[in-house]
Amino acid sequence: MKIFLKPILKIYLKYITKLVLLIHKPIIIVIGGSTNKHFVKKEIERVLKGKKLSVCATPKNFNTEIGLPLAILNLSSGYNSYRKWLPIIPQALKKIFTYKFPKYLVLELGTASPGDMKYLLTIIKPHIAIITNITQRYLESFENMNKLTEEYLILAKKLQKFNLLILNKDNIRIKSIGECSRAKTLYFSIKTKADIYAYNIQKNERGYKFTLNNKGGDSEHNLSKFGSHHIYAFLVGQLVKEYVSHNE
Amino acid sequence: MFERTKNLKLSIIKQIELEASKYPDTISLAQGIPSFETPECIKRRVVNALKKGATSRYSLSPGLPELRELIEIHLAKENIFYNWEKEIVVTTGTIEGISASILAITNPGDEIIIPEPTYTSYQEVIYLCGCRPVFVPLNEGGGWSFELDKFKEAITPKTKAIFYCNPNNPTGTIYTKEQLLGLAELAKKNNLFLISDEVYKDFTYQNENIFSLAELPELRDRVIRLYGFSKAYAMTGWRVGYVHSNENIIKEILKIHDCLVTCAPVISQYAAMGALEMGQDDIALFNKEYKKRRELICSRLDGLANIFSYIKPESSYYIFPKILKKVKSWDFALDLIKNIQVAAVPGFAFGENGENHLRMCFGRSQDDINRAFDRMDNYFKKSNL
Repeated sequence: MKIFLKPILKIYLKYITKLVLLIHKPIIIVIGGSTNKHFVKKEIERVLKGKKLSVCATPKNFNTEIGLPLAILNLSSGYNSYRKWLPIIPQALKKIFTYKFPKYLVLELGTASPGDMKYLLTIIKPHIAIITNITQRYLESFENMNKLTEEYLILAKKLQKFNLLILNKDNIRIKSIGECSRAKTLYFSIKTKADIYAYNIQKNERGYKFTLNNKGGDSEHNLSKFGSHHIYAFLVGQLVKEYVSHNE
Repeated sequence: MFERTKNLKLSIIKQIELEASKYPDTISLAQGIPSFETPECIKRRVVNALKKGATSRYSLSPGLPELRELIEIHLAKENIFYNWEKEIVVTTGTIEGISASILAITNPGDEIIIPEPTYTSYQEVIYLCGCRPVFVPLNEGGGWSFELDKFKEAITPKTKAIFYCNPNNPTGTIYTKEQLLGLAELAKKNNLFLISDEVYKDFTYQNENIFSLAELPELRDRVIRLYGFSKAYAMTGWRVGYVHSNENIIKEILKIHDCLVTCAPVISQYAAMGALEMGQDDIALFNKEYKKRRELICSRLDGLANIFSYIKPESSYYIFPKILKKVKSWDFALDLIKNIQVAAVPGFAFGENGENHLRMCFGRSQDDINRAFDRMDNYFKKSNL
């Protein structure tokens, strides 16, 4: 997209999105972290749909300054093409009046450069925030890991007392973030005891078999996917399901 | 000296290209290069990465985590489930993945079964790895299908793997689920690996679903599946692809990959990310265009029904017409280059069973196809063939 169009589009989409959110007041669940945002998003979508709730999880990883508004408005991107953006611009405006809005919005929040998180949080006020992990991925634009972690601290600090913060206890950088938030904080793990954790994890031909401990109670689960990130996603899904059941 | 390489041959496709390069006005339907330029969205992704200084250092040996995660997401859409952290390696094109896979699973002297005709470089890689290719002919009368009995007969105690390309290059055949399941049964009974090169999977002309044995979890410890971005996204020059298999196999392939290339070029890995994130519309566009070109090349071949017969390809951008006159395909191909400057690949390059055929690529533009066939029309008329 040409250099002068981008700032205009950014502001235009930001304020339309804010207006749409103000009108419809959805419950916003955001997922931040270096990896595994997609799988956690899909799992949350699955559990909420399983409860017959109206939910929209963005199909793509639109998690940038322009991508996030598009994700919320359920619009596709015109990328670098004026021609493709032309119909999207009026469509965005129409969303204020016509869009049948979902009750739950599940969004990925990406931070590729310092300041990204702060900007994205001027558009949305999350009710539930999840931080999957913090790794060296996307570190290019940050001086060091501390600077990257600060981005996620901004998210944790933004939450209100009545919001929920869900953190990965197995990631050393994330553990400390909970201390900086006013929100209720829950931890998940596959390595140690936490608010919810998986243990006895056994890989088999079909995926995984594991025991899930949730506040002291054990249950057996099978997951027909491969990779521990899917177990993490499952744990987060369970925490969100519980929270939503409690608040519905 | 040169013990390992003395019996290796430069691929016939490259030999034909070299021959064709002697004539400045050659129209080449030989090499499998798409006529399209790499889509803008992919280039933009690369430019952004360059500007951020993200491309100047090695990535992890298996590839950028964000790319591998994207690959897992895309595979899941095809009902294929592999763990990006431990089961997916980004390679320097498919051919590097093939080399690393064969080196990892074989010992010198092992045999690998390849159906033929199939992609010419497979056998050279097998020789390079110190193994022996064992050819099993495909059934032309049955639309270049597998004949399981022939595979069964080819298996010996030295057989380590069956290696196939689906959709097949040069015939454009899509193997059916039943055929592939039959192959899987054979592999299970004889404890063989199945190496599946699916680089043309994105091109289908009747909206067929291409079944992959990698969809079956019970075959995870046998199937090694390869994919490259070259064909689908018009990225032949970027040299990037990936291989996935069960963790214990990938662990071994990764060792070879590390020895061969350390990691796939990082700039190309960013291009692959752009392709997966934004390139789907371009694939659809290419597919539509290739479908038109397939119709065009078939209609032009219909006009030469006294010279060629052909089976309409279901996928890829190749057609593999049979030369009706009894003539060696190499001589026929050279004759076309010398007399009318049209390059096509002689069928024997793809195995003995491909002799008496030519491979023509309709990845080239409609104009190229028309000009090449105009020349052939005139030539065959004049030469009374």
